[in-house]
Amino acid sequence: MAALQQGLTLFFSLLVEAIPFLLLGVLFSSILLLWVEPEQLLKLLPRHPLGGAIAGAVLGCLLPVCECGNVPVARRLLTQGMPSAVAVGFLLGAPTINPIVIWSTWVAFRDQPVMVWGRVVLTLFVAVVVGWVFSVQQDLRPFLQPAVAQALPVGQPLREPVLAAVPTGNFFALAGGKTLPLETTGWNASRLLSRRGRWQMVWVNALTELRELGGVLILGTAVAAAIQVLTPREVILGLGQGPVTSVVAMLVLGTVVSICSTVDAFFALSFAGSFTAGALLAFLVFGPMVDLKGVSLLLTVFRPRAVLYLFLLAGLLTFVLTLAMNLYL
Amino acid sequence: MNGFDLLAIGAWGVLLLKYWLTGQLAVLIHPNYFPLTIGAGLLLVGLVGWQGWVRWREPGQPQALAEGSQLLPRSWGRFLLLSTAVVGLIVTPRPFNSQIALESGELLSMTRTMPQQFRPVNRPEARSLVDWVRLLNTYPEPDAYQGQKAKVQGFVVHPPDSPSNRFFIARFVVTCCAADAYPVGLPVDLPEAKTYQADTWLEIQGQMATGQVKGQRRLILQAAKITPIQPPANPYLY
Repeated sequence: MAALQQGLTLFFSLLVEAIPFLLLGVLFSSILLLWVEPEQLLKLLPRHPLGGAIAGAVLGCLLPVCECGNVPVARRLLTQGMPSAVAVGFLLGAPTINPIVIWSTWVAFRDQPVMVWGRVVLTLFVAVVVGWVFSVQQDLRPFLQPAVAQALPVGQPLREPVLAAVPTGNFFALAGGKTLPLETTGWNASRLLSRRGRWQMVWVNALTELRELGGVLILGTAVAAAIQVLTPREVILGLGQGPVTSVVAMLVLGTVVSICSTVDAFFALSFAGSFTAGALLAFLVFGPMVDLKGVSLLLTVFRPRAVLYLFLLAGLLTFVLTLAMNLYL
Repeated sequence: MNGFDLLAIGAWGVLLLKYWLTGQLAVLIHPNYFPLTIGAGLLLVGLVGWQGWVRWREPGQPQALAEGSQLLPRSWGRFLLLSTAVVGLIVTPRPFNSQIALESGELLSMTRTMPQQFRPVNRPEARSLVDWVRLLNTYPEPDAYQGQKAKVQGFVVHPPDSPSNRFFIARFVVTCCAADAYPVGLPVDLPEAKTYQADTWLEIQGQMATGQVKGQRRLILQAAKITPIQPPANPYLY
């Protein structure tokens, strides 16, 4: 009974702290989705692989806030000719390198500033390195899902012939004989709305995202509370204090719980007393990059092989860096 | 976005406002974040109310643009939101007790904060429990405090291995929310220590002395006057 009471208090305290940030996140992301045109940014991005990877990673400061909002944006930008280094840097970096996530991390770890800047620096490093590595593959088409690959601008000869000579799929017919492909309706359709209609879409979109992400947040928080209350203290301490085991445990946990990056710092917080700092950082850096929810979204853009490369590269880099931190700091 | 979705999200708005109006927010999070939570509660209730009204006035509203996460089926999200909000509305959160303080096993340890700047409270009897523990972190020599007056409030913890004339007076310290609460405590010596039940809230006035705690020389509070008190509305220290 006492354990249940403690678990519920923990559970609700995490949720009460996290929900305002989730609400901010979905509002911010919905406003950006409907009022900001990311395509304009593409023209400003550097073409150099390293510069592009860095630019992609910090683009998160200007674009939707957590991984759920970022993957559709990356997909749209890729089909408009975003270089691969930028796209990968963006996918890995943007969920973490943005004001709301940095703020919520600071709220959670006010007394451990190393968590805040460590999260930013390590995420930037991993995102830039992996983005740079991916830039070796100039033509991303073999890595992409066929539908996305087909939508890429034809700048260079394709390895495989495009089967359809004319574009296929579902289209909206507009006035004046113009058409809009269904995939691009997100931003394009909103351009056709009135001001009032567009704001109405912002509110509906924010509430829908809140329902989706709120569900995931509740499941993840329940996992955190259950682990805290049900696992014997000695097991957690034994696992959490080993420099290697703690990092591995947190990498796995980060992949499984799939909490949005705007609020995952609060989840990590509940382990602050019992896990090494490196392990908590591993969770904070790797979780937003690759989690179950993110993978299902990534698979709408990349083929499974490419997702595996991303997963392994980002995971290994995070592991090595946070392990080094545990051992030498 | 159907009526159930609005109900589920609105219920969370109501729950946040309930925590605020009943004062239970203090049991869950650090006061710094009260405005954020209250704002979120008001915004949720307002947004849901307004969208409900729009839906009622003009049926056939546009759907959301973003696909959102594909991890959970749509109905799960609203079910989880609604059911947890209902549980939250029924259950009263309780501050952590001596049992949890013992399980975390750190009563004598340091505070976790790394202060950039430290301003000790000059009058010893004005120091709170966490002020004492912070002071001891920074200047750990117990003899420096011998004979100083003390007046602290907290709840009683009986560690299983402590002698019969000693208990700990403890509080939980919170930096963000109850999830990162950790206990701090001071050993208190008095002959009838065992008569005070665990979890009783006390105000203890006395003098600081030194003595052996688990084989180490530590600061110990010699109680002169003990007053049982009501658990404070805000049980944590910051």
